[in-house]
Amino acid sequence: MFDWVHSVPILSIVAYVPLAGALIVIFFLKNDQGSAIRKFATGVAALDFLISLPLWFAFKSGGDLFQFRESHSWIQSIGVKYEMGIDGIALLLILLTTLLGVLAFLSSWSAIREREKEYYVFMLLLQTGMLGVFMAMDFFLFYVFWEVMLVPMYFLIGIWGGPRKLYAAIKFFLYTLVGSVLMLLGILALYFYNAGGLLGRPGLGNDPTFSILQFHEIGHLIPHDLQIWIFLAFFVGFAIKVPMFPFHTWLPDAHVEAPTAGSVILAGVLLKMGTYGFVRFSLPILPDATRTLLPWMAGLSIIGIVYGALVAMAQKDMKKLVAYSSVSHLGFVTLGLFALNGPGINGGVLQMINHGLSTGALFLLVGIIYERRHTRLIAEYGGLSAVMPVYATIFLIITMSSIGLPTLNGFVGEFTILAGAFNRVWWWALLGSLGIVLGAAYMLWMYQRVFFGPLTNPENKGLKDLTRREIAYLAPIVLLCFVIGLVPGPFFKVMEKSVNYVVAKVDPMLAASASSTAAAPISSGRTGE
Amino acid sequence: MPSLQEYLQLAPEILLATAGLLLLLIGTVGRGLGNRESALVTMVSLALTAGLLFKMYPAYHDAAGPVLILQRSFVLDGFAFFWQLLVLVATALTVLLSVRFLEEGNYRATEYYSLILLASSGMLFMASGYSLLTIWISLETMALASYILAGYFKHHVRSNEAALKYFVLGALSSGIMLYGISLLYGAAGSVQLDELRLGLERASAAGSMLVPLGWILLACGLFFKVSAVPFHVWTPDVYVGAPTPVTAYLAVASKAASFAILLRIFYQGFGSHLQSDWQHIVAVVAAATMIWGNLAALTQENVKRMLAYSSIAHAGYVLLGVLAVSEIGLWAVLFYLLAYTFITMGAFATVILLERKEYAGETCADYAGLAQRSRFLAAMMLVFLLALTGIPPTGGFFGKVYLFAAAVQAGWTWVAVIGVLTSAISLYYYFRIVVYMYLRESTQAAPAPLRAPALVGAIAFCAIATLVLGLYPEPFIQLTKASLLPLPLP
Repeated sequence: MFDWVHSVPILSIVAYVPLAGALIVIFFLKNDQGSAIRKFATGVAALDFLISLPLWFAFKSGGDLFQFRESHSWIQSIGVKYEMGIDGIALLLILLTTLLGVLAFLSSWSAIREREKEYYVFMLLLQTGMLGVFMAMDFFLFYVFWEVMLVPMYFLIGIWGGPRKLYAAIKFFLYTLVGSVLMLLGILALYFYNAGGLLGRPGLGNDPTFSILQFHEIGHLIPHDLQIWIFLAFFVGFAIKVPMFPFHTWLPDAHVEAPTAGSVILAGVLLKMGTYGFVRFSLPILPDATRTLLPWMAGLSIIGIVYGALVAMAQKDMKKLVAYSSVSHLGFVTLGLFALNGPGINGGVLQMINHGLSTGALFLLVGIIYERRHTRLIAEYGGLSAVMPVYATIFLIITMSSIGLPTLNGFVGEFTILAGAFNRVWWWALLGSLGIVLGAAYMLWMYQRVFFGPLTNPENKGLKDLTRREIAYLAPIVLLCFVIGLVPGPFFKVMEKSVNYVVAKVDPMLAASASSTAAAPISSGRTGE
Repeated sequence: MPSLQEYLQLAPEILLATAGLLLLLIGTVGRGLGNRESALVTMVSLALTAGLLFKMYPAYHDAAGPVLILQRSFVLDGFAFFWQLLVLVATALTVLLSVRFLEEGNYRATEYYSLILLASSGMLFMASGYSLLTIWISLETMALASYILAGYFKHHVRSNEAALKYFVLGALSSGIMLYGISLLYGAAGSVQLDELRLGLERASAAGSMLVPLGWILLACGLFFKVSAVPFHVWTPDVYVGAPTPVTAYLAVASKAASFAILLRIFYQGFGSHLQSDWQHIVAVVAAATMIWGNLAALTQENVKRMLAYSSIAHAGYVLLGVLAVSEIGLWAVLFYLLAYTFITMGAFATVILLERKEYAGETCADYAGLAQRSRFLAAMMLVFLLALTGIPPTGGFFGKVYLFAAAVQAGWTWVAVIGVLTSAISLYYYFRIVVYMYLRESTQAAPAPLRAPALVGAIAFCAIATLVLGLYPEPFIQLTKASLLPLPLP
């Protein structure tokens, strides 16, 4: 039924439908046609989501690692190709992107009322950039998408953001740019090592290429010291994006100032690019360096988990609280990835999706109440469950998903991550689980202060419950939270092959003895030293 | 005695110089030609020169090696062809930028264009010069015309100041350069580049002190011309004071031609035994140029001054490619300066569209709310600023990547790291203009853009070229690869 998907360049179509939509908005719709622009742009996003859905059904879990591949020559002289393709991990992230895209568009209808044309153009361009990042199989192409995407996000924060938007926007842009230019040097080093050599060392003498698969093949041949340098260059780029402690300081500013849809996309998709970068590039291409630096990576992840949670607990502003909770949750993801075993990476990837859903939903929910009251201070609220019962219910479900209650998605992800971490070094899991306890504390405490107790603030008395449009864009997330929580099997299955591939690359010894058996001693994590 | 045949091989250069002189002559008769007529004559002579270049290209392209003529003091090769073409394109864009600007200020046009043509013919000679003496004389031809052009607003103190500063410092640097040349001549016994290379090798082997002294003085002069730190001090004042089309011309054409002779002299005139020495000096100069150019640009309120510092910073990036002494480095330099031509011309054209009465409308605040006043102009400026920062999908990105790549490949990682970090920092000042254009409301005083079809056409052309160079660079890479210098033999 979905065979046709293989006969069209489906990935390019999914990636460029938003771009085409943006061009149509630019050239055919006028500034004052706000309603038409809104509907058209949302329609484009919805269409894109529908086009991306068949990917899920046509993707063969047992088939090739990368599927739906497209390859065209682009810049022959230096071996750059236009090469697209996705594996199970990218597939999940792409679906997350197209889905959250639609929801973010819907949530903007009432929130964005000025300069709508530009707003929707930037949102559509952003979609194209993000989708391209997950689809690119050529490192150069990847980098182009990775950077292109920064521009629309800069404008989204800078034009439609809060009071300190200018500061937040340029800070976001500068931080990520510094990270990505260093990553670029790492990419170039890989490129030259694969080809003619660099820094006076002989290279491998292959044809010059930026192909990610080729780098996967030759990665382990790179001498150890060069691997470390390339790893660090990548690390800065990805860690700033994730963001890992201590590179996280741009995140609260960007989140707090961004408009709701911007925050949703930022938390839901953009942050995942960093973790995606680790699992796609750092781990498989630079296995020795990964193993050598493992204690550092795990240490920063754990610090991020605990620190993010503690700072979140101290926040008075709901949006800031959710922003810091992201630091903590993403710490879990990186901890899972750097466990370097099946459960850890499985859990890490699934948790990327989970975090995208639950944090995306939390930002949407905070946005809804902000639109009504124009404040996000927790102290301004209290007893909302009396006036907004539906809102309170959905908020509760999402809160539970975020803190990892069984039957909801967060539980599956966190549990697998901790299992993976435990297998690697038992006390990593112990310290990581602190984050779950703290997470429950700050989320439930916020929930209690906002929804329970007497309705003291008179301004809250007349608050309207959710409208149909709001329910419409929250419902899919709630549904998915249950689906992933109750039947996570298909999600693990679709990425199984990719995860095994990464594990086999980064830790051949461990892959041989099957990842589920006894805890690997920490010494195996240091074989590179 | 060289035959007429040999002189004819310099026909493009001679044609352009003749056109310049003719225009100057016409200017003395009565009131001269009008602005538009002179511009037309200029464009036609540029087009004819380009036609001649293309007509002659196959003849020497098919030759086994470089064709040396006129007692081996000029060369016909792909490298010269590339720079000459680039200079012609940049000059044509300058003319498009100038028409409306001269009308606004009501200045005499014929002499202006004749000076532009003379300066450009100097640049063409620079590209094909193959002896230190011919190169130096061509350089002076260009420089003398540029000094006058910088002071073309003769009633304005700032323009006078620019011309005077440019002249005094320029003459000083030319003198230093000539002194260096004379020392090298003393050591090597020739100024013809091939003989110079061999002579310097002999002299160095004999332990002559003239060699290091000579080449360092010569290098200082070259650094001055490409405005590399610490020889950059003239740049901001001259760029701000000169009429804006002249500023664009200096920032693009003059810089490109200076890089052409810098490469020619370093790669072909200095032997490989000097290579490691000059590489170290270029590395330090490149690092200082990138750091200082970018840091100083951070605080500029005047857009022209900001672009001046940014052009210093870009000279630093280009030096990364020079430094690498590799095929990649060489074509990265060529490609980057090609992209830089369109980007910088476009950015200055946008500045001109907003200028009023010579110097008004040049501050960042004049760009406030530009996106609301003219969506087109703001979008174009955005493209140029993204390209200057080096964000894809623009030619600026692609060019920069390969400059950095060349440095990494050649082992100059520390300079490349400084390059990428300063280039990230540059985002801050380029995007200050974006902030004003898109994120701030229009003020009452902010000027509306001029109506000038030639300018708007030039801007659109530059923006399209910038994007094409970023999205489909392949044909241009082929062009640059066909225009490489032979690398110094190891």
